[in-house]
Amino acid sequence: MTDSDQKFIEIKGVSKNFGEVIAVDNVDLEIKKGELFSILGASGSGKTTLLRILAGLEVPSQGSVLIDGVDMTTVAPYDRPVNIMFQNYALFPHMSVFENIAYGLKKEGMEKEGIQEKVERMLALVKLEGYENRKPNQLSGGQSQRVALARSLIKEPKVLLLDEPMAALDKKLRQSTQFELMDIHYELGITFVIVTHDQEEAMTLSDRIAIMEQGQFVQIGSPNLIYENPKSKFVADFLGNINLLEATVTEQSDDRIVVKCEALGGELELNNQDQSNTSQMTVALRPEKVMIEKTMPTENEQKFVKGMVEDFGYFGNLSIYRVRTESNHIIQVSKQNRDRVEQSIKWDDEVYLTWENESLMLLGE
Amino acid sequence: MSGLLVQTNNSLRENLWRYFFVAIPYIWLLLFFLAPFVIVFKISLADPIIAQPPFTPFFNESSDGGFSIYTTFDNFRYLFQDSLYFVTYLNSVKLAFIATVFTLLIGYPIAYGIARSPQPTRNILLLLVVIPFWISFLLRVYSWMGILKTNGLINGFLLWLGLIDQPLELLYTDTAVYIGMVYSYLPFMILPLYANLVKLDVRLLEAASDLGAKRWQGFLDVTLPLSIPGIIAGCLLVFIPAIGEYVIPSLLGGADTLMIGRVLFDEFFLNRDWPVASAVAIVLLLLLVLPIVYFQKKQAQENLEAAA
Repeated sequence: MTDSDQKFIEIKGVSKNFGEVIAVDNVDLEIKKGELFSILGASGSGKTTLLRILAGLEVPSQGSVLIDGVDMTTVAPYDRPVNIMFQNYALFPHMSVFENIAYGLKKEGMEKEGIQEKVERMLALVKLEGYENRKPNQLSGGQSQRVALARSLIKEPKVLLLDEPMAALDKKLRQSTQFELMDIHYELGITFVIVTHDQEEAMTLSDRIAIMEQGQFVQIGSPNLIYENPKSKFVADFLGNINLLEATVTEQSDDRIVVKCEALGGELELNNQDQSNTSQMTVALRPEKVMIEKTMPTENEQKFVKGMVEDFGYFGNLSIYRVRTESNHIIQVSKQNRDRVEQSIKWDDEVYLTWENESLMLLGE
Repeated sequence: MSGLLVQTNNSLRENLWRYFFVAIPYIWLLLFFLAPFVIVFKISLADPIIAQPPFTPFFNESSDGGFSIYTTFDNFRYLFQDSLYFVTYLNSVKLAFIATVFTLLIGYPIAYGIARSPQPTRNILLLLVVIPFWISFLLRVYSWMGILKTNGLINGFLLWLGLIDQPLELLYTDTAVYIGMVYSYLPFMILPLYANLVKLDVRLLEAASDLGAKRWQGFLDVTLPLSIPGIIAGCLLVFIPAIGEYVIPSLLGGADTLMIGRVLFDEFFLNRDWPVASAVAIVLLLLLVLPIVYFQKKQAQENLEAAA
């Protein structure tokens, strides 16, 4: 991959304010060619504004945007090699499916036969053959989404922007559509930038995720990296479930750190990954990395805490327990239901929690 | 047993209420539209006489105590024989049509501008559109006489500028009628158009722009076709009253500005020929109602086809 492919989209020091409100705050980002990149954030985090800046629908207050090495900062949307799929699809209600999909080509001035052929190919790609004469109000949510996708792909943009592409679909349809979207991405090799608030969607779809909060990126990386090595409490909490337990630093050297964590039964010795010099830290532990048993672990040296099941939820494939420890802290545990037997651990049962030392993450603020 | 009875009673009462509310518009139309229409239609089938009322009665009591009905189509026949009426109808349609087109050309940009302005400004602008209604319609048309007359405002201003050295003939022309109509009916065009344009989803224009449409192309491809219902509503609201307009052509128009409203007035009050005046009114109504009914039927059919 050449250098320009590495920096196919380059966002340099981009800010956007609406009056007093700073929607995007001095953001830098590089997206590779052909990447499926997600921007994940809560509503109001500035993710949609950033997407609209890429589409040319907003002009940044500061900074510049380069696409494939060309400065696009002030280029009008209709002159950009970029197309966007809007959150609620924004299909033209007075045009048929065919006319909607063909619109981009018509504006390019392509002749009729060419348009016909390309639209047919696009209809096949999104599996909507036979729907060309329908109007948008005669389509289901899933079909509308496919028309919107086809319409935004027909000009073969260098970059496809998707604003909450699955938000209007129900859960079952969302999962199948996610895989279809990944297939289409693989087939066409176009760079996708997806904006979403749905962390599951971002994790399944993306090569890389950027987590956005208050107009800035708090962490950028592969789903796996961000999930297993969150940089901050915010990221850890935002992506999936996690136990965040208070701890005090008692000893610190260059590579080792000893913290006292009441919830996990006292002193813990960990790798010193985070070199911050605060005495108050947080130990983070994912619920699926905690083991729950009714019998006391017999193995020597094994650290454990004893507690009582306060609450549990049965989800079929797994069960989630909320355990109150003897030190009066709540720890969440999730357990895969591997056997087809009745739940053996229930309310008010006395349980023992164990974990691998490597599963613990030490976070500053 | 008694429980069942109470239930039937309740549903009966509920139904009665429902019928009552559904009936209100029908009763209104019956009393204030259909009944007057029947009376006018009855008069149009009579002969004029010098009496009180000035037309022959519909029912005649014969000497032996029986009833007979007297009708004649002479008045309608007369309308088709005298070319004056045909020319006047045609002229009314022409004047109303041209006035409607100008009202649309002026009203559309205004409605568009209001719909696109920020919320607080929007309310002020809408208020400004409606404010003239607080002054009597007649007064407003009168004031146009003052503006348009030979030594009126416009001529005075143009003479003062030195652009003309003879005052222009403005008042008592078709131009004055157009000005008066466009001015008077502009709010009826702006309001339905505004109501339509304000609903337009801005993201549709963004989508068009994203797909390569320049601003004017986005307007032609998206805004304009989606505002057609507003255009139709506004044009009907202007065209229908304009075609039967009486005050504006009589105050601002010349002697040769023939409009059906004036002819109607003259037949009633100068000729005292009520039957012919009624026939004129009936034909005017049919001329207006039939195309609209046809148009609406066609549109309903298209909607049905689109849904199928």
